Amino acid sequence: MNQPASVSAVVSPLPAFEVRQLSFRYDSVRGRSSSDRSACVINGMEFTVRQGEIVGVIGPNGSGKSSLLKLLARLVRPQEGTIRLFGDELGSLTRESISRQVAYMPQDLSFDFPFSVLDMVLMGRFPYRRSGLWSFVGWERQEDFAVAEEAMAQTDVMHLANRMIATLSAGERQRVLLARALAQAPRVLMLDEPTAHLDLNHQLDVCRILQRIHAQLQMTVLLVSHDINLASQYCDRILIMKQGAVVCIGPPQEVIHPRVLTEVYGCQVLVDAHLDTGLPRVSLPSQESRRAGAVSAKS
Amino acid sequence: MIVHPSPAQTTLPDPPAMATPVGLQTYEGLAPLQALRARRWYAVMGVMILLTCGAIVFCLQFGAHTLTMAEIWSALTFSTAGTENVSSVIIWDIRFPRILMGLFVGASLAITGAALQALVRNPLADPYVLGISSGAALGATIGLALGLGAIVGGFGLPLFAFIGGGLSIVLVYGIAASQGQLPMHQLLLAGVIVNAVCSALMMFATSILNPASLYRVVLWLMGTLSAPSIPMLMGIGVCLLIAIVLLLRESQALNLLAVGEDAARSLGVDSDRVQRTVFLVSAVLTGAVVSVSGMIGFVGMVVPHLVRILCGADHRLLLPASALGGGILLMVADTAARTVVAPAEIPVGVITALIGGPFFIYLLMTRKYRFFA
Repeated sequence: MNQPASVSAVVSPLPAFEVRQLSFRYDSVRGRSSSDRSACVINGMEFTVRQGEIVGVIGPNGSGKSSLLKLLARLVRPQEGTIRLFGDELGSLTRESISRQVAYMPQDLSFDFPFSVLDMVLMGRFPYRRSGLWSFVGWERQEDFAVAEEAMAQTDVMHLANRMIATLSAGERQRVLLARALAQAPRVLMLDEPTAHLDLNHQLDVCRILQRIHAQLQMTVLLVSHDINLASQYCDRILIMKQGAVVCIGPPQEVIHPRVLTEVYGCQVLVDAHLDTGLPRVSLPSQESRRAGAVSAKS
Repeated sequence: MIVHPSPAQTTLPDPPAMATPVGLQTYEGLAPLQALRARRWYAVMGVMILLTCGAIVFCLQFGAHTLTMAEIWSALTFSTAGTENVSSVIIWDIRFPRILMGLFVGASLAITGAALQALVRNPLADPYVLGISSGAALGATIGLALGLGAIVGGFGLPLFAFIGGGLSIVLVYGIAASQGQLPMHQLLLAGVIVNAVCSALMMFATSILNPASLYRVVLWLMGTLSAPSIPMLMGIGVCLLIAIVLLLRESQALNLLAVGEDAARSLGVDSDRVQRTVFLVSAVLTGAVVSVSGMIGFVGMVVPHLVRILCGADHRLLLPASALGGGILLMVADTAARTVVAPAEIPVGVITALIGGPFFIYLLMTRKYRFFA
């Protein structure tokens, strides 16, 4: 597959991800027989992510959200089920070809090493490195810089190019990581908690950049978030997970429903309409009404 | 084939208004930086090579008997060849092999340290701190105690050291990574434990040695570069050369791994292969170094740190620059070791530990090494 050296997704009529009967458990969870379903982190998931949509994955802690992203990025292999990426079975693709199509931005990155912002963004070009005797050190080429430049412009980090990553604010860092993901020239962008630990301003920055990327590059975006309100505002569809299974998937207006959330999170919630957009907005009820509901709240 | 983007493609739409002002937006492009990066590599490596040559000449000068530059020059240019010139003998038979050994040992320790630090995402890692050196020393001591040092054509000792180092690196990594992650304190603690156990076993092994070999073993364990033989130099030089090639091949992968393993793997880094390569290279190099020069600590931690502070963390530059830096540091430290109390000698391991220990504490207490722009 040839891909132009630029940060734009290739339009395809096939769904970005088609997940069928997906089950997965970590090998370290031993001592239980494989038939024991509770050992599974992902348990018979079925869903489809269409080309060019923003899908938010929400669910309580330990519901398997991050594991799902790792499965979709082929960092781990499922025990059962199939994942199709634009029609191709994920297991039949080479690592390089997956890396050229799917960018994965995890949460736990280390900034202890003094890489510059440009170093960081150019790392996104790793799947496009040449192989050969004289290129064994892996220097970037002209087009790698061109793509990195475009990606950095998209996320407004051009002016930081020479700064050390450790000296940046959390919001700037997140934008740099987004640029690195875009430098991969992917068709699908997968983000694990892109707005965690960011203040409101920077949350807004990241979300606007995501929307811009989505609108300009027709990028498919899959993001995991604890922030239901943010997901409701910015996602086309929301996938709610509980114990490794799909509870429901659909537009925010349909799935952000008090009954669904109470069932999934095990606590009473209030859902009203956002003042600007009219999209559903979630808040926790007051102490009194929670006691009245006799359901213990758990964040 | 990758299609070059046409100018129309790279024309970017105006950036929309941001939620926060993000300072001056200058879209001058990456072209100047790209040229700078290419030049920086050659500049840094050029300076390091010059410094290395300078350090060699400087170290040739000092010792039990201080030579003048003129004597060094005449010896280096072979203008006194054939004659039984004292300074020529001192330089070619005594000092030069020893300085070369310092260069090789220091380079091995520093490049191993740099690669390990990236792999375990911990800027404090080092073959000494992680217990690889003491594992290798234990292996070599056992080989000596069993009288097997001379087997395999004289390479019995490095072989035992390699096995010991390899076992301890696997052990330390296994202990630290048991929770699926690699927390910094756990890695250091695992290194401390392995160090302690190896030291205890080494003491036991030395206690059953006869007095004559005991003295030799103790002196060797303290770390010394004295009297290297030509095969020793050749052996460690070849190991080092292969190691540099193997590690440079993985240098961009090490960059990615230093930031995060999952992210690196999602970008196509074969983390298992890189891990195997780095562990194998560490075990072989540390085994070779320990069997010829004993326990020389902290060079592997201090040097990559200083190089990172001066020229960033890109391992394509960091690895070769650290190798030369480690060579310079050890050559100079060894010169100090043989001049400070001349004609007696301090074991060079004592000097590097005296430099490295306080440096390590300083790094632990301030995390200043993170910040420079």
